[in-house]
Amino acid sequence: MLEIPNKLQAQPDVKKKRKWLDSEGRWGLLLVSPYLIHFLVFVVGTSLASLYFSFSDYDILNPPKWTGLDNYEKLFADPLFYQALWNTVYFTLLYVPAKTFLALLLAVALNQKLKGLKLFRMAHFLPVISSWTVIAYVADAVFNQRIGFANAILAHFGIAPQSWLIDEVWVIPVLVLIAIWKSVGYMMIIFLAGLQGISNDMYEAASIDGANAWQKFWRVTVPMISGTTFLVIILNTIYSFQNFEQIFVMTGGSTEAGSTGGANNASLVLMLLMFRQGFSFYKMGYASAIAWVLFLILLAITLVQFKLQKKWVHYD
Amino acid sequence: MKKSKFLSVVGIASLAAALLVGGCSQSSTQQGDKVELYMGYTSDPPTKKKMEEIIAKFEQSHPHIKIKTVTAPYEDFYQKLTTQIAAGNAPDIWQSDGTKVFGFAQRGAIRDITDYVTKEVNKDEVLGVEFNKDASGKYWGVPQGIQVGALFYNKDLFDKAGVAYPTADWTWDDLKAAAAKLTLDASGKNADDPAFDKNAVKQYGFTFFGSSRGAFNIMKAYGGGVLDPTMTQSIIDSPENKKAVEWMADGMKRKLFPNPAELKAFQSNFKVFLSGATAMQIDIYAATTSMNGAGLNYDVAPMPKGPDGKRFAPVIANSWVINKKAEEQKVKAAQEWITYWTTSDEAQKEWAEVGEAIPVKKSVANSEMFLNPSIKPDNKKVFLDSLDFAGTIDTNAVFAEWLKVVTDNLAELFMDKMSVDDYISKTDQGVQKVLDDFFKKQ
Repeated sequence: MLEIPNKLQAQPDVKKKRKWLDSEGRWGLLLVSPYLIHFLVFVVGTSLASLYFSFSDYDILNPPKWTGLDNYEKLFADPLFYQALWNTVYFTLLYVPAKTFLALLLAVALNQKLKGLKLFRMAHFLPVISSWTVIAYVADAVFNQRIGFANAILAHFGIAPQSWLIDEVWVIPVLVLIAIWKSVGYMMIIFLAGLQGISNDMYEAASIDGANAWQKFWRVTVPMISGTTFLVIILNTIYSFQNFEQIFVMTGGSTEAGSTGGANNASLVLMLLMFRQGFSFYKMGYASAIAWVLFLILLAITLVQFKLQKKWVHYD
Repeated sequence: MKKSKFLSVVGIASLAAALLVGGCSQSSTQQGDKVELYMGYTSDPPTKKKMEEIIAKFEQSHPHIKIKTVTAPYEDFYQKLTTQIAAGNAPDIWQSDGTKVFGFAQRGAIRDITDYVTKEVNKDEVLGVEFNKDASGKYWGVPQGIQVGALFYNKDLFDKAGVAYPTADWTWDDLKAAAAKLTLDASGKNADDPAFDKNAVKQYGFTFFGSSRGAFNIMKAYGGGVLDPTMTQSIIDSPENKKAVEWMADGMKRKLFPNPAELKAFQSNFKVFLSGATAMQIDIYAATTSMNGAGLNYDVAPMPKGPDGKRFAPVIANSWVINKKAEEQKVKAAQEWITYWTTSDEAQKEWAEVGEAIPVKKSVANSEMFLNPSIKPDNKKVFLDSLDFAGTIDTNAVFAEWLKVVTDNLAELFMDKMSVDDYISKTDQGVQKVLDDFFKKQ
């Protein structure tokens, strides 16, 4: 994934014209065949199958029946779809800028010569490798309505206890906060790699020109890591649209079938709606339609981001 | 050149072989005269061990049948089963959760076994046979283990509050009156005390949630319910349901019952009772295992009566069902297994030992072995007696989907964000839409 920006640079065409499938070509094909076959069967194959399912009535147990645009018509008339879409967008709007900014901040801080640097870096990376179930338990210690310390702090200031994860207003911001805490360390590492790629000469030159720390950050650091920032934003956006596990684990409520999505579907995101329709309600055709709409939305957003990057991303 | 040609041939051949092997995993299943029966069941380590023992005994007494099994914990099992059904290599017979039997039936995945059930299954000896009968009189499964709901109560909390234990004569109003005395705030005042602090409840009187443990039972006792007997029409909009819902909403407002947010604070709905934070809860027989594990001092009473003396206990009859696509020979073998399961004292007693369900053979269920007074709860007979007024929780093909509508709206009502009238009309429309989407299409 780290190579995305590099791919944008045009590669000079030095390939020799080669006969199709000479000995070397066949060897090459054979050597990549494990990946190629996996890709064809499990990525292309399943994607095409889901595209077909999205145009059919498919309950998993019986063969799909072609129904044309039925699922899409139903989807665009379903208020829950719009609610899930809004919840997803809302999550993304809070999540992407906050996490990107925070990750950069942490990376800059941990790029200094500090005592116990490794310890700090590790501390921030620890949640990244923990499972969501563990994170959910830790988060519960903070946001539990009864015993969590968020309410204990509020009580100190005489504010009534909140029911964070079941409150329609609070649930998404709280989920975003926890999601950022869990994964900011990963983006921090990516930023760190970007920061360490900046040559010290640049800062020295800036110092000679009389730039202060702030100016150095704005005029040197930020432009120099814009490629990394772009990557981080894209990854965060994709992650945010595909967030499933966290919301499933944290607002599942109970083990009863179909109970995910929180109070009044306040934390129902597209991925959750898709899971619920497909696996709890046996509506795999409808779920496939959601998947394809989600894919198209993500594709559009990513394309827009790629277009916009020309204005602010520098690759030098 | 030769070498590379050889290599590509080997490569392609091995790939083709891999695909072929994947494609023909269910090839010939008959070895000699033996029928190989492919069976699926949900399990955890103790139930898996027990089931293997019972299968070994069955194979001994039925030498012409060899059982091959597929098993996994609950969620995983059904996910795998669904894909197996889709791929056409599902087990010949599997143990279906009671709430899923009609779902499989109405989607054409399992076999109509009316003929076998009417001829071979003795309803006087096997519990719960009727729970797998649909509105048109067809049978789709035979009980494997029975779950019945009852009122569980924490004896210690009753003793501490000086409240008499629930009796078989209790109405839901009696329960609420007792719940008020058993709901305590941080300073130990109960909900009847004018100085009771609603914002600092430390112990609740009564807890209910979900379907078999929830509102459905109260609506039924009040004469209401969710679906009509055909399971295709919503009957939510009725004065009986409205009364039941008002009864629940009032208890929530008075903080006698924890609302969904308060339940959530316990991490798991089951923890409220298990941790001694509620005096009463509706639960099913399976819950006794974890309650005994927690060392709780508890007992069970029959579900309370509604205002007109009507009583309702929820039943989930987990059942053996037969794959619609199973070959005749295997269907026969599957039926032999079911007959063995429901009639053999040996199998029934072995299974009862794991304590996860009420045995389906009546004589075993009524025996000292099951009613064992040295294992809590003392009053296990309540579960058996409750079968007289028990019914399914209106399970049909879209059970999970309509239940979602009902529970979502109830949560809104209990969180005081919706009025009772709005609840009734919104839920009625929501449930009917789910039903129409499925049944009108058929």
